[in-house]
Amino acid sequence: MRLGLCAAILAGKVAASLARVCGWRGSSLPGVVALRLCPGVLPKLVSQVRTGVIIVTGTNGKTTTSNMIARMLAAAGFRVINNREGANLITGVTAAFVRAASLSGRIACDYAVLEVDEASFPRVVPQTNPEVVVVTNFFRDQLDRYGELDTTISFIRRTLAERPHVSLVLNADDPLVTQLARCARDVIFYGVAPRSTVVPRGSTSREARFCPFCGHPLEYTHYHYSQLGAYQCTGCGFARPRPHVEAAATAVAGQVMRSRVRWEDKVISVVLPTQGVYNLYNALAAFTAGMVLGIDPATAAASLSSYTPATGRLEGFLYHGKPVYLNLVKNPAGFNESLNLVLAGRGSRDVFIAINDNDADGHDISWLWDVDFEVLAGVKDILSFVCSGKRGEEMAVRLKYAGVPLRKITAVRNLRAAIDRTLNGRGEAAYFLATYTALWPVEKLLRRRVSRTALQDPHSSRVSSTVDRR
Amino acid sequence: MLTVCHLYPDLLNLYGDRGNIIAFVRRCQWRGIPVEVREVGIGQPVDFGAVDFVFLGGGSDREQTLMAEDLARRKEELRAAIEGGLVVLAICGGYQLLGKYYRTLQGETIPGLGLLDFYTQAGEKRLIGDIAIEVELAGRTVRLAGFENHAGQTFLGDVRPFGRVLAGYGNNGRDGTEGARYKNVFCSYLHGPLLPKNAAFTDYLIACALARRGQESFLRPLDDTFEERACAVILRRLRVAR
Repeated sequence: MRLGLCAAILAGKVAASLARVCGWRGSSLPGVVALRLCPGVLPKLVSQVRTGVIIVTGTNGKTTTSNMIARMLAAAGFRVINNREGANLITGVTAAFVRAASLSGRIACDYAVLEVDEASFPRVVPQTNPEVVVVTNFFRDQLDRYGELDTTISFIRRTLAERPHVSLVLNADDPLVTQLARCARDVIFYGVAPRSTVVPRGSTSREARFCPFCGHPLEYTHYHYSQLGAYQCTGCGFARPRPHVEAAATAVAGQVMRSRVRWEDKVISVVLPTQGVYNLYNALAAFTAGMVLGIDPATAAASLSSYTPATGRLEGFLYHGKPVYLNLVKNPAGFNESLNLVLAGRGSRDVFIAINDNDADGHDISWLWDVDFEVLAGVKDILSFVCSGKRGEEMAVRLKYAGVPLRKITAVRNLRAAIDRTLNGRGEAAYFLATYTALWPVEKLLRRRVSRTALQDPHSSRVSSTVDRR
Repeated sequence: MLTVCHLYPDLLNLYGDRGNIIAFVRRCQWRGIPVEVREVGIGQPVDFGAVDFVFLGGGSDREQTLMAEDLARRKEELRAAIEGGLVVLAICGGYQLLGKYYRTLQGETIPGLGLLDFYTQAGEKRLIGDIAIEVELAGRTVRLAGFENHAGQTFLGDVRPFGRVLAGYGNNGRDGTEGARYKNVFCSYLHGPLLPKNAAFTDYLIACALARRGQESFLRPLDDTFEERACAVILRRLRVAR
């Protein structure tokens, strides 16, 4: 049995080297190989984690939140395993452990912080036995792979109901998430105080218009974005719970966000080197998990203030002095937030959008019609839209029907040509938005063209530096 | 002036269905045809005789039940308007609702409105993927592309199919039919959404709506390069491009 485990790890490591040579970053190939040779490899390795396993799930923010928690634990002096490049199916989780294991099948770490795909959650949880589960939010995502959102949530609810001892960290502002509170004894809520939204806006892609318990309409006194906000049911007593950890008085200065975070009777100031209200939520989720794990608040806040985004989570580059941003888009809520970032930019801009419909992107791209591209229609500062990827033409159609003038739209099938066209546009900045499987090819092509110096924002301090993680 | 009636946009907003409304409205506007959208929720009044285009989409099971109860109360009014040539597009769950019944895997029968002669039986396996069909519009054969995702398998009685399946599953994955068609009512499993990248069909619906009001139904051609390219991507992928 031991031999089987060692063989699986060795084979997994060989696969990892192969993946590295071929430039497949974030590959789950080592996990696929190891699981094939030894189906019980994951629980064997997980059982060696000294202190505990933390799982982050939900539609958006899994990668960022889990990376923030892992950094926080590392800053507090712990050794951490983490699937940081976003391979979040059971194969990707296994790959992270295989990479960390010695050839004799030993793991030396205190914590494992794992982001887990919503649909894989019921399978991963029994094999990893988490102590803490963080749920970020639920939005519509890749319907053809998951079935409807209701089904996904009910699977997660059932999995949690079987493990009432898990500490749950839940987003109080998302009614779809808070309905899970009845599954556990120990629930900690985080949220953003009403009327402290960074970017106030309406959205047409709201998921939860009705109470998950009684079906009556939910009434909102405040929206942050999508269905996140302050809500209460008009039928039963279901309402936004009072968060244990709450952000208030959030202010944006250039590329930096500042917020006062309250928990119990204490208040701490948190500075985030990134933008977007969704990143505030990610940081709050990570901070809350940190408090549950007993990390010193000052250490947690300091760790958040030096957070570097992972691939495509608003990475910044420079191309002949022109700021270039890359962001992952994968569902209406996230795409709307990305559009807000594009709109918040200053000066003239060119925008690139790559839409693929491979397995990992979801085959059904009709969600593009739930994104509010209409906000782009009259923006004079956006000079051009270059649409690419396997479904670039469909993206061009979407922009056309959103009211973007035809002369601004082009559909260029070849990624390389599309990227060059965007970089060489007349704009003072360029924004690249790509779905999951388009992201890494786009990033690779961008890196060949841009400088590696850390990007300085024209009107304030640092954005992410572009560290080469290969 | 054309009036678009979007039924239950609050409930039936799955799969980017509002793209169908956007496409219909834009293609009217680009030609200078005045158009307005009326969103109708549960219990809100609507005069089907006074609207020109009704769109009925699909929702999740819970939402579908709510809308079915509401629509049942408006059935006779809707039937009269349909007989009078009202243009209706019903997609997926909305399509199934216009038929006689939906039978679940457990054998439970959920009655439909019975406006068209077909029934739907839940299948073990969801029918999911890209789909291409061929339809006849005013004597012209047109190829449409979309995406289907449905557990229900629909079997037609005394009603014409909307189109013939070129690639994909269609109504039930067996008989090669897709959707249903009666007078100016068009039912289909194609979302994606259907209308934006199948501009010829959208224009056909607009022309039908204008003709019903006795207005000039010749539509000025538009530049549909992007629409045609987007549709061709799927037709080529399914190897049914002409």
